[in-house]
This record gives sequence, structure tokens and C-alpha cells, in this order.
Amino acid sequence: MTQVALAGQPNCGKSTIFNMLAGVNQHVANYPGVTVDKKTATLKHGGRTFTLVDLPGTYSFSTYSLEERVAKSFLLEENTDVIVNVVDASNLRRNLYLTFQLLELGKPVVLVLNMMDVAERRELEIDVGKLSEMLNIRVVTAVGAKRKGKQELLEAIAAAAREKLVQPFRIDYEELETYIARLERQISSESKLSRRWLAIKALEGDDVVLDRVSIDRASIEDLTAQIHALHDIDVDQMIAGLRYAGADLVYHKCVKEKPGQSETLTSRVDRIVLNRWLAFPILGLVIFLVYQLAIVWGYKLTDHTWPLLAAVRNQIFSLLPDARFIEVPLLTDFGIWMTNSVLALLNYIPIFIILFILIAILEDIGYMPRMAFILDRIFRRYGLHGQSTLPLVLGGAFVGGCAVPGVMATKGIADERARLATILTVPYMNCLAKVPFYTLLLGAFFKPDMALMMFFISTVTLFIAMIVARTLTLTVLRNRETAPFVMELPTYHLPTLKGVLLRAMQRVWLYIKKVVTIVVAVAVVLFVLLQYPGVAPEKMAQFRAEADTALADFSALAESTAYASHLDEPHKIHTLLNLYESYRTGRLLATSETAVAELDQRYEEKHPQLFPLLRPADPEARQLNRALRNLSNVSRSLQMQIKNEKISNSYLGTFGRALEPLTRHAGFDWRINVAFLSSFAARESAVATLGSIYEQGRTDASPEAVMAQDGTYTPLHAASMILFMILTPPCIATMVVVKLQTGSYRWMLFAIAFPVTLGILLSILLFSLGVHYGWSGLELMRNFYIAVALLALGLGLIKTKQSGWQVGKTH
Amino acid sequence: MKPPAPCALALSDLKQNERAVIRQCTADGLLKQKLLSMGFIPGAEVRMIRNAPLRDPIEIGIHNYLVTLRRSEAQMIRVQAP
Repeated sequence: MTQVALAGQPNCGKSTIFNMLAGVNQHVANYPGVTVDKKTATLKHGGRTFTLVDLPGTYSFSTYSLEERVAKSFLLEENTDVIVNVVDASNLRRNLYLTFQLLELGKPVVLVLNMMDVAERRELEIDVGKLSEMLNIRVVTAVGAKRKGKQELLEAIAAAAREKLVQPFRIDYEELETYIARLERQISSESKLSRRWLAIKALEGDDVVLDRVSIDRASIEDLTAQIHALHDIDVDQMIAGLRYAGADLVYHKCVKEKPGQSETLTSRVDRIVLNRWLAFPILGLVIFLVYQLAIVWGYKLTDHTWPLLAAVRNQIFSLLPDARFIEVPLLTDFGIWMTNSVLALLNYIPIFIILFILIAILEDIGYMPRMAFILDRIFRRYGLHGQSTLPLVLGGAFVGGCAVPGVMATKGIADERARLATILTVPYMNCLAKVPFYTLLLGAFFKPDMALMMFFISTVTLFIAMIVARTLTLTVLRNRETAPFVMELPTYHLPTLKGVLLRAMQRVWLYIKKVVTIVVAVAVVLFVLLQYPGVAPEKMAQFRAEADTALADFSALAESTAYASHLDEPHKIHTLLNLYESYRTGRLLATSETAVAELDQRYEEKHPQLFPLLRPADPEARQLNRALRNLSNVSRSLQMQIKNEKISNSYLGTFGRALEPLTRHAGFDWRINVAFLSSFAARESAVATLGSIYEQGRTDASPEAVMAQDGTYTPLHAASMILFMILTPPCIATMVVVKLQTGSYRWMLFAIAFPVTLGILLSILLFSLGVHYGWSGLELMRNFYIAVALLALGLGLIKTKQSGWQVGKTH
Repeated sequence: MKPPAPCALALSDLKQNERAVIRQCTADGLLKQKLLSMGFIPGAEVRMIRNAPLRDPIEIGIHNYLVTLRRSEAQMIRVQAP
């Protein structure tokens, strides 16, 4: 097994080379403990097996960004046999800066000149033979996006793995060489790595290397101060300067530029895309398109995919044991609950696929850093980063996003503090699943003012997000590491279909794998909390007595008819009742006459004796059919009452009641509490739980109507609930990605506790004020809106002393 | 190495399309390392490409590629007219 590490600077097309070599045969994981992706693939060439590891893109190994730390520690820890250095052929000079450092490592290096087509378009003539000769390593040309150069690269890797080490090009560090040699002698010989490399890194004051070679920082600082005094040299600057000088030398010997070259495509596009007046409209258009394509169209697409899922659901339901009048088997309840929980999440997959494809396209084109360039000034005011734009939009800056892809999209933010602030802010956006809850309450209590309320809801979240971000970065995140905002604006590239699809599918798969598994686990816990300890025996006996009376009435009626022999035992009546209900559902779904005829035929063949009762033809059957409908209503009503009793009596119900003394001040009774608690699994459950508590057997009226008529709640209550929902903690799926992206359970718990506390406090405050001053629901919302907007703008205007990245740095 | 000449001009002071040569970098720690690794070394030629629509950050052309950085950071890079 030969381990091959792929290294290169950002935007050199490393991932296209990786895809070219690995194809679909790749595996994405996180580096242990960090959020940077590690892609690996195994491939065979000439009878040898190679493990290919994609290192994060790094400009050098000398700074402390997460990517560079990961790449460096990988090269330090692992037994890499060959390093493949991917280089942007059109940007050779800067890329060589990293190449020299890779050569210093003392491992065999293969250089890939990628994007040769771009270099050719720019009329750069690269003398590959000369380059190979000067660096004394293998050099291969490639166009990763067009899969050109795969064979040559594989040959070169295999050859480099076979042969002994050659002496590659070496940067001469001039006056520093004596000090490098001295440090080399201090380093023990055990290391697999080149001592020269370790010595140079030590001289650069690299903490990771200093730790490994057990040289203390103070002595290095002494040494650099000494060098400064002796030669008037700044060590860091001199090392960087000599590497660039070396790059210049190699570049001029190997590359011929055509003089007077025309303006590049990138600068022509940028003249429009980054234009002072056009930048914002274009950005708005891009965001709108992403929103429209992914959220709006994706949501429409779920109309087509939902029937498929519903068919699966019905298939599962049909396998579950039938109810025996009012007694629903536990397995059936459990099966329905679990199926619904999982399908609620799977339903969003079309949206995710489109969204992830669009993100991958934006990433590949090179628009993402430009977005940051345009918006950084605004976001910086609130402790966020230009790169926070996309996560916030995906989370639902307009009504209806999803926090899961939003949080996942924070990966690219270089500034650790801004990244955490963004992760903790995205869940405040309006996710798709909150919309049904809003519609329910607005429909019940704010019919005439629905549009205005929706406007308040959808825009207030952005202000809240800014306030929260500002608050967090000034408090708990104050000491987090920040990074200077120095970012390359890469040249524009056309994305490749394969690369985009591959990445989008990997992310969707990651979502399914990580999120769905955890949601399943939590759904089980919630099920138990909602089912147990169950209905009290005396209460249950009461329900049973009611059920028995209804059953007795029915069998008394049946006795005198011709169907008596088929209905003389309770279990036969149960069967008939279930048959009646499934037939009725079938009739509702059958839209054409032929479908009805088919349905009839199916039922008649299966149950020839009972079918006449389902579709009565004679007066006796008609009478029984009517009685059957009554019986079915009684059974549904009783099942619903039992379910309510169960929820009310359950652990979660008890907890909801226990919270009532507190939440009462916000206008929430225990039922609302239970709805909010269960909404944690998936937001949809809030509506479902409220619906089931409110149905109370009155199956014909919509939950909106029932809530409005119930009289327990006023629009003021509803406004308070909406307010809490706006601030409500993220759902479990979001929590899972927060954990993944922050790499810590503590941040996950914080992400739950902070909004809950804030939400309940604000709901209590505003509801109490509302009661005291006699506000209407709309007035509460309006006042809240004005207060939040003013606070957000105020926070944005206040200038703090903190300039740029320097506050909170750890070094 | 020549001792850096005193220069009053910062990278952030350049006008659009103006060219200059880097003389000195007054940043330290993390920012210094980042800037060095991205090629902001004494002697490197830079060109101011444009301001962001809200005037900050700025876009710089250096070593044949484009970099954006905030004015607060560009302040620490002292330059001289070529």
C-alpha cells in the first residue's frame, strides 16, 4: 500500500485532479476532531494499490489557519510515500512558494501542472522539461476538468514511489543557513521527516514543529532577535522573500509570457459583477435565484415526490397490526410515529439536492469569495463575516429555508469567531417547517392582517440574527480565534457537471446518514416520553365501557339481519370496521369511475360476505352501513380521547404542566408547551401535536377553526407563541449539524439553551406588557418589531474599538 | 537586504488602478504570516484594482492574482510609488 498525499494552494484545481484520479470511488470524512473534510480514495495502478488523501488547500505551511494546521499535521504524523503537488499552470510563480516547502520535506514529489488550457489561453509558454530539470522532480501536465493527463500522472506517481530519493531543488537561505544547520544538529535523528525542513520550520517559530523536536519557543525567539541584531534581518520576512525570489528565478527560466496580453475574462466579468452600482443588484439576483430554484421550486418538487413517500408510508402502515376498535396496538402507534418522523425529513431531500448543486456551482465558478467582498462591511459590524451571507440565506433569510444546509455552508468561513457566530445565528432564520405553524396561528387569529404579520415574521428574524451575532461575539465568543480578512478572489471557472453532482450527492448522503440516524434515536425517546406511563386504569375502564355500549348496540342491530352470522363475534365486528375504514380511504383516493369499479371488485373478491355492507344495495344493508358509520365515528372519537389522555398523562405532558407556572406568564398552557417540546424532533410536530390535541374528535373542522373557537386563546396569546417560535431552538437535525460543524457538544447545548431562554423571557415580557396595556396581537408584534429593528440598527451604528481581526487572537 | 525607507503611503491609500511596490509590513503574528504566505513581501509589485461597493474591503492585484483585504489590514502594508 502506497500512501499518496495531494497538496496544493487553494484554487489550483486540486479537487478536479482528485476527482479525475478517484472517480466516484471516494470517501469523505472529517479530519479527527476538526471540521475540515478529508477525502480519500483507493486506486490500483500497475499491480500496486494507492491510497489517495486530499489535503486541504494551503498557501504555505507557515500560518495558523485551520486548513494549514490540518495539512501540516497530516504530513507530520502520517507515513506519506509520495506527495503530489497540484499547481495552477497559469499562476505558477505563486504556487511554487508551496512547492519549495514540499520539496524541503524530503519526500518524493510529483508536480502536476493543472489547468494547462487556461495557461495556453493566456499565451504562457511553459517549458516542462526545463521545469522538471530545475526542480529535479517529475512534472506532468494535466487539465483536470477535461480528465487530461490521468495516465501520465499515475505513471509518474508509481515511478516516484519506486525509486530512491533524488536531491531536489533547494532554496538557499543565505545568511540563515548557518542557523538552520545549527538547529538541524539539535534535532534528534529519530524523525522520519527531513531534518532540514524541521529546522527551517523551527526557525520560523512553528509551534507544532517546535513541540515535536522539543526546542522551546523562548530560545527560538532569542535566536531570531540575535539574528535581527547581527544582520538586521527579519527572519520570517527573509525566508518568505527568498522563497519568492526562488520562484521568480524558476519562473523566468521556464515560462515565456507573450507581452501585451489582453485583459483576462475574469477582470472583464468582475468589472460588471463587482461594479459599485451593479454589485448589489447582481448579488440580490443570485440570492433570489438560489432561493427560487431551491426553496420554491424544490418545495414544488416535493409535491411530486411526496406521493412516492406516502406510498411507502401506506405500505408500512398496512403491515402494522390493525386496531381492535379502540385498542390500538403499541407497535402500530410506534410504527406510525417513526415512519412519520423519518419521512418528514426525507421529504426535504429534493430541496437539498437542488440547493447543494447550486452551492457547488457557485463555489466552482468562484462567486462565493466575491459575495464576501461585497457584503463584508455590513456583516463585520455585527461580528459576522462576508462569507456569512450564503448560510443565512439558506437558513431562510426569506421565509422558508432550512438551517441544516445553512449550518453546513459555514464550513468555508476562515474566521473562527465569525464562523461560530454564523452557526449559532442561522437557526434563527425562518425554516420551511416553521411556516405551517405560522399559517395555523395566522389563519386562526390574524385573518385580516395575515400579510402584514407575515412581513413582520420574515424580516424580524434578520434583525434578531444580527443582534444575537453581535451579542455573542462581544461575550461568549469574545476570545475565539479570528482570522485576518485576506482572501484570494480566484479566476472564474466553468464548473464541471461531474464535479458538481459528485459533491452535491456526497453532501446529501452525509445529511441522510448523520441526520436521519440521530433523528430516529430522538424520535424513539420522544415516543416513549409521549406514550408513558399511559392512561390511568379507571379512566381506561370508562373508555372501554363506552366502547362496549356502542359495540353492543351495533351487534343488537346486526342480530336481526341476514348478516348476523358474519357479525356474531366481537372480532368479526372489528374486522368489518377496519374494512369499512380502509374502503372509505380507498374511495377518497379513487378519482375516476374505473378506479372505483376496480376498488369495488377488489373488495368484493376478498370479502364476498361483508362487501354488501360497504356498498349497500338493500335496505337492511343500508341500515347496517349507517350504523357502521356511527360506530366508526365513536371509535375515532374514543381513540382521539385516549390519545389526548395519554399525552396529557405522559412524561412530556407532565413536564409541560410543570412548566405552566412559568410559561403561563407568556400565555402558554401545558398543551402549547407539549407542542413546543415535541417540535424539537421536527418542527412539523408542533402543528401535528397541536392538531391532535385540538381535534377532540371533531374531525370535520380544521384545526384553525377549532383553535379560534376554543376561546382559551386570544390573538395576544397567538402573537406570544409566534414570538417564541421565531426564537425557538433549532430542531434536532440542525443540532446534529451544529455538533458536526463546531465539533463540540457544548456548543450544541448552548445553541439549544440560549434561544429557549431568550424566547421564553421575551415572550413573558411582551405578553405581560401586552396584558397590562391591553395590546392586540398585532400591536404586540408591531412593538416587538420596532424595538428589535431599532436595537439592531443601533448596534450596527455603534463603532467599537475592535479593529479587524486582532481582538481575541490566541497567539 | 536594504533597510526599509520610511514611507508614508499605505496600501489602502492607493487610488484605483494605481501601482506601487511594497516596502515594509508593519503587521505581526498571524496577519504577518498570512500576508507573507500570500506574497506580500518587500519588493512585490501591487496594483489597486477597486474598492468594494461599500468602500471596504479593497481588491489588490499582486503576483498575477487577485486578493481582497480590509482597509484596516491594508493600512499595515507600507508602499512606495514604483
